[in-house]
Amino acid sequence: MRDIDLIRLEVMKNAFDTIADEMALILMRAAHSPIVRDSMDFSTALCDPEGQTLAQGVTTPMHLGSFYDAMRHLIVRYAGDVHEGDTFIGNDPYAAAGQHLPDFYIVQPIFLDGRLVGWATTVAHHADVGGIVPGSNALGATEIIQEGIRVPFLKLEERGRPDAKLWEILRLNVRVPDQLTGDLNAQIAACGAARRGLTELMTRYPVDEVLAYAEELHDYTERLTRAEIREIPDGTYRFTDHIDGLGESPEPIVFEVAVTVAGDAITIDWEGTSGQVEGGVNTPLPFTKAGVYTALRSIMGSELPNCHGFTRAVTVAAPLGTVVNAVYPAPTGARGITGYRIIDCVIAALAPVLPDRVTADGPGGASVPAIGGWHDGRPFVFSETLMGCWGAALGHDGQEGVPHMGANQANVPIELIEANFPIRVRRYGIAPDTGGPGRQRGGHALLREYEFLGESGVLTLRSDKRDFPPHGLDGGEAGSGPINRVLSGDTERTLPVLVTVPVRLRRGDVFLHVTPSGGGWGDPLTRDPALVLQDVIDGTVSRAAARARYGVVIAGEDRPCLDLAATAALRWDGRRMP
Amino acid sequence: MSGGARGGVRVAADIGGTFTDVALIHPDGRIATRKVPSTPADYAGGVVEGIRQILAAEGVPVGAVTEVLHACTVATNAILEGKGARTGLITTAGFRDVLELRRIRVPRLYDPLYRKPPVLVPRTLRLEVAERLDFAGRVLEPLDEDSVVRAIDRLAGEGVAAVAVCLLHSYANPAHERRIGALLRERLPEAFVSLSVDVLPEMREYERTSTTVINAYVGPAVRTYLESLVARLAAEGLPERLFMMHSAGGIVDARTVMRRPAQIVECGPAAGVLGARHRGAAAGILDVIAFDMGGTTAKASLIENGALSRTDEYEVGGGISLSSKLSKGGGYALKLPVIDISEVGAGGGSIVWIDKAGALKVGPHSAGAVPGPACYEAGGTAPTVTDANVVLGYLNPRALAGGSVPISAAASRRALRETVAEPLGLSLDEAAHGVHELVTTVMTRAVKSVSTYRGRDPRDFALLAFGGNGGIHAASLARTLGIARIVVPPGAGVFSALGLLYAEIETGAAAAHPRRLDAADPEALEAAYAALEEQVLAELGETRARLVLTRAADLRYAGQAFELTLDLDAGRDLGLAPRIFAEAHRRSYGYDLPGNPVEIVTLRVTGRLPRDATAPGHGRAVATPRETRRVYFGRDLGAHDTPVIGRADLGPVPRPGPLVIEEYEGTTLVPPGCTACLDPDGNILIALGPGPAGGVTQRSLAHA
Repeated sequence: MRDIDLIRLEVMKNAFDTIADEMALILMRAAHSPIVRDSMDFSTALCDPEGQTLAQGVTTPMHLGSFYDAMRHLIVRYAGDVHEGDTFIGNDPYAAAGQHLPDFYIVQPIFLDGRLVGWATTVAHHADVGGIVPGSNALGATEIIQEGIRVPFLKLEERGRPDAKLWEILRLNVRVPDQLTGDLNAQIAACGAARRGLTELMTRYPVDEVLAYAEELHDYTERLTRAEIREIPDGTYRFTDHIDGLGESPEPIVFEVAVTVAGDAITIDWEGTSGQVEGGVNTPLPFTKAGVYTALRSIMGSELPNCHGFTRAVTVAAPLGTVVNAVYPAPTGARGITGYRIIDCVIAALAPVLPDRVTADGPGGASVPAIGGWHDGRPFVFSETLMGCWGAALGHDGQEGVPHMGANQANVPIELIEANFPIRVRRYGIAPDTGGPGRQRGGHALLREYEFLGESGVLTLRSDKRDFPPHGLDGGEAGSGPINRVLSGDTERTLPVLVTVPVRLRRGDVFLHVTPSGGGWGDPLTRDPALVLQDVIDGTVSRAAARARYGVVIAGEDRPCLDLAATAALRWDGRRMP
Repeated sequence: MSGGARGGVRVAADIGGTFTDVALIHPDGRIATRKVPSTPADYAGGVVEGIRQILAAEGVPVGAVTEVLHACTVATNAILEGKGARTGLITTAGFRDVLELRRIRVPRLYDPLYRKPPVLVPRTLRLEVAERLDFAGRVLEPLDEDSVVRAIDRLAGEGVAAVAVCLLHSYANPAHERRIGALLRERLPEAFVSLSVDVLPEMREYERTSTTVINAYVGPAVRTYLESLVARLAAEGLPERLFMMHSAGGIVDARTVMRRPAQIVECGPAAGVLGARHRGAAAGILDVIAFDMGGTTAKASLIENGALSRTDEYEVGGGISLSSKLSKGGGYALKLPVIDISEVGAGGGSIVWIDKAGALKVGPHSAGAVPGPACYEAGGTAPTVTDANVVLGYLNPRALAGGSVPISAAASRRALRETVAEPLGLSLDEAAHGVHELVTTVMTRAVKSVSTYRGRDPRDFALLAFGGNGGIHAASLARTLGIARIVVPPGAGVFSALGLLYAEIETGAAAAHPRRLDAADPEALEAAYAALEEQVLAELGETRARLVLTRAADLRYAGQAFELTLDLDAGRDLGLAPRIFAEAHRRSYGYDLPGNPVEIVTLRVTGRLPRDATAPGHGRAVATPRETRRVYFGRDLGAHDTPVIGRADLGPVPRPGPLVIEEYEGTTLVPPGCTACLDPDGNILIALGPGPAGGVTQRSLAHA
């Protein structure tokens, strides 16, 4: 083995992490589109010369595991043709091992004294990449060709010289070219920071020593991961979950997972999962792997480094042509929803053996409304990710105002939305009586209501869990599904969860979305009445629900208080007559 | 007023968790310091006692004191301990949960069991009123005063002591909030009222609400404390006008703080950075990285060309974070200017441990003062950074703090041997040095996050080290970052109190002024700046002639969401502004966007009352008995018999390392290959020579 000093290893790991964090910070601050700068739907990574991630900025976990396949693809395609000053761009799931078309990779090789010593990699969700709907999240697309501009890995800059033609083509194919340019420049700036950071590190320590420690970091992370896996009881754990399905007459998309723990290795097999569909929810395999890695990391106790070594103890198998391993021409625009379901499925499968490391099911990721159109003679595209709450845990209630494990994204300030788009947000808050009842209550849903103020526009929406609401654990009840309504004049219309046909909006139309909530944990009739009373005081659980769902009787007109005798009687009856 | 301070004695008091530090400066510039125990039940008592003692010790009559300066943790503690006032919040109908939902992001990835900090105003005290503005401040729905009255009466019934008011888009039109404020004063006269238009008239509803709520939440405690302190100072015969340090590094009248108490939340650390700036400037060093290492954390802040770096992206109680700017959501957002200080969980008490895959880790858990490091033998058996420093010979093996805290070096050795050396198969020296090296890397991130992350090269700066452990770790930190010069000032253990003495009366005001730069009307800009200047004058109670007023603007490229703050005057600079902005953008991000329009977001005015330059006094150097002890400097440099000396033993002629300089307030390490001397102000100056310690190769020194 190499002459490795475990202390120096920790020193190097910190140095790599610092570089990846600096990249993320620069990208966020320089970015132009709300989804990058405010929601923070992007990721940065420092990779070794083989394209293996050494460190990742603390942003979007679901991106992490996807980088490697894209980097392998790039490295093979450009073998012998990678030069100092090159900047690569690519987004296509099939021609660039990408994720979905809005996610543009920007990658730069890092050279020191003419030698390739690493890669700076970034991926960011761009506001629009063309295609049939604003925001390029067309659930109704039946093939990827309809989803926007497809770019294999190309050189956006060659030896420091920008390719003006490529820039021109990119700008011509998107609805908001200035946002694309601004965000791509922010990604390039982040890569520049990584180049400076790594070469500076390599002037402090010999190049070969840094690279040896990079290798060791992977080995160390693999050891740590295997130590964690050994703590999970051996066995095969299965779970079945669903996405409601596409459009007006949805057909459930089935997810079957088998998690097999054997000693210090773990295999995740998706055999039995639905075939790919004519709608944007298919994911390419790299993204499926990323979801699996995210779930597994979240149930492990150690602070595992965000590096490629983690993946060596994990095998992901998925039949070709399924929604979790899609092949051309399957559209992938809204693949995020499938990624979230992949994470939730793996966690649910392991819940029975790791009850103290998981929560009951949650809203299944972000709801993604997108509103686009024309206003004041200019095109606009507004899109945001709406999260969220968590299911209940063994020891506490589910929380509101937290992101899905897969994507640590922020909400967009209402004041910024209203200043920049012909949209007014009329309400934003907690939706009472939605959290799944349990001894620990699931987190309540969030509601957001938009009024359209533009001349003409269209709305698309990605949501889920109406037919298969968030499940509870250990006798806890399921959470609630989403509510999607459009009020146009006096006409109210309920939208499907996955809107495949964009909805026309006129000035004054109101769109109400309520996210799904979180599942409960344990029998709701065993919930501490004092906690139910607190929920009633807070206005998040009604008196009627306290009685009907928790068997708790609240007395007092102005000042709610507990009627303990009536509660005991009601709960006694509730147990006798299930 | 404070102008009269010239020629008089000035006294400063800084309250810490354990001690209240008091510093005094004589008219001739001589300085004295004193530590007295803090009195948590009634902090004002400790302050008065400390001042009494230092005056007696210095033989200064009370009447000779012309100025009292103060920094305290009353506001911070109220938040961290959840002991602020019972607070109500009034918001626009439909938005009472904005405060609780925050920005959604959490500071930890992959942790399904993470718990958010509890919300400062419970849902039942968050009440909605009917009204609505749009982003331009136009009234979409007039304020329904009946709904306001109902809300106020309800809050009165709930017994709140403070009320925050934050309405959507109020930064663009304060009328509705002002009316609610008037109704509150009418119907709830005892309550502390905090309007968002007074606290933070800027866009982004969560940050504005959170800041306004913090202001209300700490308001009653701060007001009570300051009123009591002012009265007791007066009763002692001390000046009635009390000056408070605020988080942005200036001082203001305590009465101003009673109105906007949120501005003192980070004032203690700010005072330390201010001291660093002053010390650096006095020594002719304008580019300084202030490095403060204590028992549980290490902090870093950048001073460039004598100017403090400020930020308004701060979270109270955000916890220790390695990448403070990215890991948002762990604390309470406070969007007021604070000195940009990054913090990592690496201090003398940080616990050393081995993870499941056999890697060495330092922190973030700390042994604290109780039980403390293993060498205290007070129940702590886990090795800490201090134990490693004892093993290495950096710290005195018999007693710390100038002999006042006896320790056991054997306990340090035992803890480190069992936890680190044996499991990793290392010698005790190597294990201890590994800890030292590792804690250095962790601190490197703190320095980088205020330098390289913002496009600054640490090699262009001197490292000014203070805090109990600053002097021990400064040399390795400087080596790792390629910094060539270190300054260790005297009085490193009471540095915040000293820093207070150098603070200038200063405050700022800001207002949203969103428009494209090329469409900005110089007259409107001038009018907006003039209004802000009036606000500053009123707040400081000063005349224009005595103040230095500076104007700045937050600018960004159209489409961006984060701004760069640049000096910008109305007529004069408007034409140049795009170019100045492009240069600043290039420096921070490595590129600019020619042709992309630039936007003004916020205008800022700062008013400052310059102080006469006072020569900094000499620290009182205590001669230390000399000895020689074995000190280990790592594999490359090995062990050396190293002279242990006092600060006073150094002179103007550089003395080669290795050296250990022991003082009551801390220890300074001068590794082999470095030299140390004393400058006329009593600072230890260390020059880093070539040497491989800390993993530095010859190659990097060519850079340095």
